[in-house]
Amino acid sequence: MAVGAVSLNTFRETIRNRVLVNILVFAVAIIFLGLAVGDWSMGHQVKVIKDFGLSAMSLFGLLIAVFIGIRMVVEEIEGRTIYIIASKPVPRWHIVTGKFAGLALTLLLNIVLMSIALFAAGFVMESGIDLHLIPAIILIYIEILIIVSFALFFSSFTSPTLASLFTIVIFIVGHLSTFLRDYVELYPDKGLHWLYRIIYYIVPDLEKLNIKMAAVEHIGTNAGMFWTAFAYGICYMLLIHIITVVIFSKKDF
Amino acid sequence: MNAEYAIEVRGLSKIFKGELGQKDVTALSSLDLNIEAGQVFAFIGPNGAGKTTTIKLLTRLIFPTTGRIRIFGRENSSPEAMRKTGYLPEQPGVYGYLTGKEFLDYIGRLFHVPAALRKKRRDMLLDTVGIAYAADTLVRNYSRGMVQRLALAQALINDPQLLILDEPMANLDPVGRKDFRDLILRLKDEGKTIFFSSHILSDAETIADQVGIINRGELMSSGGMENLLSLQSPEVEIAFILPEDKIPGLSLPENFSTGAGGRVRVSVEQNNVKETLGNIEAWGGSLVSIVPGSRTLEAVFLDKIGR
Repeated sequence: MAVGAVSLNTFRETIRNRVLVNILVFAVAIIFLGLAVGDWSMGHQVKVIKDFGLSAMSLFGLLIAVFIGIRMVVEEIEGRTIYIIASKPVPRWHIVTGKFAGLALTLLLNIVLMSIALFAAGFVMESGIDLHLIPAIILIYIEILIIVSFALFFSSFTSPTLASLFTIVIFIVGHLSTFLRDYVELYPDKGLHWLYRIIYYIVPDLEKLNIKMAAVEHIGTNAGMFWTAFAYGICYMLLIHIITVVIFSKKDF
Repeated sequence: MNAEYAIEVRGLSKIFKGELGQKDVTALSSLDLNIEAGQVFAFIGPNGAGKTTTIKLLTRLIFPTTGRIRIFGRENSSPEAMRKTGYLPEQPGVYGYLTGKEFLDYIGRLFHVPAALRKKRRDMLLDTVGIAYAADTLVRNYSRGMVQRLALAQALINDPQLLILDEPMANLDPVGRKDFRDLILRLKDEGKTIFFSSHILSDAETIADQVGIINRGELMSSGGMENLLSLQSPEVEIAFILPEDKIPGLSLPENFSTGAGGRVRVSVEQNNVKETLGNIEAWGGSLVSIVPGSRTLEAVFLDKIGR
């Protein structure tokens, strides 16, 4: 399958890309900065570091997903390499899926390295590894994959600037959608209710995937909640990817 | 549809939809084309004529509004047809973060070329196109000419029966152009079909068996090079020397151009050659040369596109 060749090439591209290295170094530095900040938060140092680390993973994963995800398709077109790749006996869905898989692999590597840094920092503080963080980290990864799928989706039909903007809006609204829907219910305007209900069902509910606080505090998570959120994220990601594949398959280069 | 044709195009049109109230653009209109296997076909036309659109349609980069394309008797969308095709785009892009070797290896993987054969072809092709010395250099450090050569190598990695080349000589220096012409002729000897677009007429004239002229999305003419060049009766160019003292009294016709030392040059149609030679003798002149003239491809081209 050409998906493997394309994803391997995409992985190589992102690994050889200095931007990724810069982001990664910066992210690890942020985690260790948490150590310093932790010193000021009397008695809560470990929790602050964990919270800081998980948030850094989420934020830097988002940055990589948006900027590298969008650039991946745009650079193929602007760099004219797509003419070489898309003219080969390779179904277009293999190309776009290979790109997705390659970036997913890079992000996995990124999150594994950041997790090691986080666990190392935690180990220094409390002489142990907090396994409660692992479900939260997995869901952060799923959330980032959803963002990648949106980055590819938008970049398949609009400009890089708009694609970046739309993807970031999806991230923000995705975290606020439940809040917005409930907030709008307080107003009597039925039209507004419907509008926000539509937004709620179109935009992914990324808060479902956010169990950072529960993981840090060791409260309120169970396997059922985790797997529901996991399945929801995977389904959403696949749906967006399928739409992207359809657009990409009909695109004139 | 005939399987002996490497490329068979029927009623091919492409209309690009105008965006936000702009008019639709007809880039190609009802193109019919037959290219026999083993031929070198030059596709000639000015910028914006529809050459690249045609090539993109052949290689499935864009989809036709109407019409169909067959490659060796199969729809061009079939994997079998694409496996037999190598394609060099105009101003090709290659991945700057890969070395020349890695790039060819990647393209070979897309064709599912087995690893051992891929390695063998990769090394051989880098040598063939003359950049073996830069095999392990990152492509971002290549010159334009080197990128063009690498892109040509990737078009050959699957040992294609049909080679589609869009303005292949555009980025090459004179040495590169010669190398390229030699390579094309060698590939032709191996039985490959070559379809290339160009606006450089002399290149087409030297290596093509057939030529198609396209302008404003319409095929103006297509056929063997001899047919095109003999569209007008060929002329003969005669050069001779007259005694300088005799020239003023002769009142030569206007199409005779005189130069220093009594040299005279004239182009006449073949059926007037005998009469002109008789006149030269009568004027006491001495013949220097008789060169059979033919219309150059450039003349045919300018005539066809109405300039």
